Amino acid sequence: MARYLLRVNGERHEVDVDGDTPLLWVLRDELGLTGVKYGCGVGLCGACTSHVDGQAARPCVRTAADSAKTRITTVEGLSRDGNHPVQRAWRELDVAQCGYCQPGQVMAAAALLARDPDPDDAAIEEALRDNVCRCGTYPRIRDAVRRASRIMREER
Amino acid sequence: MISRRTLLRGAGAGALVVAIPVPVLASGGLVPNVFVRLDDAGRITATVPRPDTGQGVRTVVALMVAEELSVEPGDVQLEQAPGDTERFGPQAVMNSTSVRQLSTPVRTAAATARCLLVTAAATRWRVPVAECTTRDGAVHHPRRGRAPYRSLVRAAAALDPATVPVALTPPEKWRLLGKTRAGRVDARDITTGRTRYGIDSRPPGGLVAVVARPPWIGAVPDTIDDTAARALPGVVDVLTLTAPAEGQGGVAVIAKSTHQALKARDALRVTWRGGTPTADSRTWLSDLRAALPAQGPINGMQQVFEMPLLAHAPMEPMNATAHVRPDGVTIWAPTQDPGGLRTQLARQLGVPATSVRVETAASGGAFGRRIEPDPVLEAVACSRRTGTPVQVLWTRADDMRNDSYRPMSVHRLSAELGPDGLPIRRAHEVATWPLTVLPIFANPALIKASGDHFPYSVPGDVTVTVRPAPLRTGFWRSVYAGQFVYAEENFLTEIGKRSGLDQVALRRTLLPPASRLHRVLDAVAARARWTRPPAPGTTRGVACLEDYGSAIAVIAVADPASRRLLRVHAAVDVGVALHPSGVRAQVEGCVIDALSTVLGAQITVRNGQVAESSFGDYKWARLGQTPDIDVTIVPSTTPLGGLGELAYPPAVAAIAAALAGDAPVTGMPFGVDVG
Repeated sequence: MARYLLRVNGERHEVDVDGDTPLLWVLRDELGLTGVKYGCGVGLCGACTSHVDGQAARPCVRTAADSAKTRITTVEGLSRDGNHPVQRAWRELDVAQCGYCQPGQVMAAAALLARDPDPDDAAIEEALRDNVCRCGTYPRIRDAVRRASRIMREER
Repeated sequence: MISRRTLLRGAGAGALVVAIPVPVLASGGLVPNVFVRLDDAGRITATVPRPDTGQGVRTVVALMVAEELSVEPGDVQLEQAPGDTERFGPQAVMNSTSVRQLSTPVRTAAATARCLLVTAAATRWRVPVAECTTRDGAVHHPRRGRAPYRSLVRAAAALDPATVPVALTPPEKWRLLGKTRAGRVDARDITTGRTRYGIDSRPPGGLVAVVARPPWIGAVPDTIDDTAARALPGVVDVLTLTAPAEGQGGVAVIAKSTHQALKARDALRVTWRGGTPTADSRTWLSDLRAALPAQGPINGMQQVFEMPLLAHAPMEPMNATAHVRPDGVTIWAPTQDPGGLRTQLARQLGVPATSVRVETAASGGAFGRRIEPDPVLEAVACSRRTGTPVQVLWTRADDMRNDSYRPMSVHRLSAELGPDGLPIRRAHEVATWPLTVLPIFANPALIKASGDHFPYSVPGDVTVTVRPAPLRTGFWRSVYAGQFVYAEENFLTEIGKRSGLDQVALRRTLLPPASRLHRVLDAVAARARWTRPPAPGTTRGVACLEDYGSAIAVIAVADPASRRLLRVHAAVDVGVALHPSGVRAQVEGCVIDALSTVLGAQITVRNGQVAESSFGDYKWARLGQTPDIDVTIVPSTTPLGGLGELAYPPAVAAIAAALAGDAPVTGMPFGVDVG
């Protein structure tokens, strides 16, 4: 066990875990950030997608030790009021079914729009390719990313 | 007029929603029955008796209550019912019944509350009830003004419901039900990560367990060396689980954190015995092929379809949390059947049901898998050992390799064609396995009843040969209809191709004149502009299904050369679409399931073990493969139908036909060996 200083959602947290503990379990078990979902543990499903230094990343395949000097944002910290354009677009288009993969989908979409505010379909498909939804909400996800992009443009 | 005692007897669809008409409370609240209550402040709370596994039942309950009480859905606080069939009736999410069976009792409960409030206001104002209306959480009268519900709750609670006539709001007056603008009530929590799924249940002092599971089907632990595992930090205990009372069996490691439990499981040294270490799903498929009679009953056109094993693979892997105390048990579980689970646990533990509390968590998908209690039984065994709450967590590989799979099947269809190319006699011979999770499903008649919904006027027989299942099998969305309809519709498509007949016209000709399917088939053909020739390089597939009290027709359009599904049109008649966005969502979900299972996902067994372990090799569809999906809700006057499973069978048939192009469909998935 060792102590690691993590910066998560704008706050500093000191955690006492083994250095090889996946960041996923640090966020969920130690910090109670259960919006970060466990789906596969091996970087294949995207359910835990969060932002590390502003980029979409998979906390299940990063360790506590890797994460010490990074800036981590989970879905809980994406916006103060839950009204990030992506979150609003998701609600407007009634995207979710069971909702379990959606925090990861939302975080992947937000990271995409931060670097490419007006993505074409190919860019959307590329950015969300490895975010699996078992309920089959993909058609609405695609529309909601486009909608979020429009909301961001209108409000710029 | 609805009497106090019989308030909720008529639950519809043969359901036994035995609602106890809870007497009006003396504490000042208004409780017309178990589903709805208003407190002194006028706050409305609705109980959702069935779990929400993504099918949207919470949203529909909120809409129904808000509609009848003239408020907005957000004004209705939802309480997810714990397992308790005596209070809430059957609670299982199965057979696409949640909304069908709840709509009458929940709407009646809320309408009863409204009628009591209106009567209380009319009495106070000394005006006729008929002159009063409800709007924005208040009773209104043209001259007397407005009385908010909170000012009426006490007076309403003092009335005897048996003296107050109750009328449901008629559909033509609906503001919310049937309207497209209403979205899912949990959307804000979902998009901000606040929804608590079963996996997020961590009662104080809780531990985490993971289980070393059999490395081949049916194996049981022989020798266990847990010295290294127990020496690791955070490890609390190691125990052997014995199937079936303690789940599927294995060796559980209980630790303080998930990572510690996973590491300790890796450090276990277990040898295994028994089971079937050489089992192979290709052999199983051959055995099913061989189980069909040597000759089909009709000497005519013939085609064979081979169907693979499928896993449920919900995004939230199996898990359950239990706290076994001297005075009872509390369970936190993503379950499809909290009431059944409670009854089973009480029986198994030899305790009264009143000492078993089952908290119903949100489920990250279910698709039939969470009707089974095995993760809960594991958690109970672990918690009984430690005396603390324990969450049993399955890894994705645990989940994929220890599922209750959709059975493999082989279908041989044969038909005699008349001079006009239409089938005049048909036979459908099936060889498959039962559902091991429900032993009565070894009965061929039940398998036939689940699978066979052939709607066309062609005389013939469906015969089912049942072989013993070589691994756990269970309910997978649409159950046997997925395989049967796939075979039947693709065989009909092949007949149409052979006879040079238009696929929609062929089906229209064969449907009985009174069939509900005519309207949906015509509607979908119009949406898909069927009478225009398809674009060059594209092919189309069509299929129908009437089941669950609803009817659907699907047309898929694909580019077979690039194996790309372009568009799917569906027209559904669900009687009354209470939540149109939710209706469309269920159809869209079934279409993605259908595409996934046609183009890649199957479970295979090699050397006794399921080969697939995650979404890298169980190839579920991704965003980039997603077609445009166009769902038409056909207006209807038939009673409310079910929907959650309706679209999968015709979608998988139509998508396969479209993607196959000119080639005959032989099974799924395409492009790889089945099994």
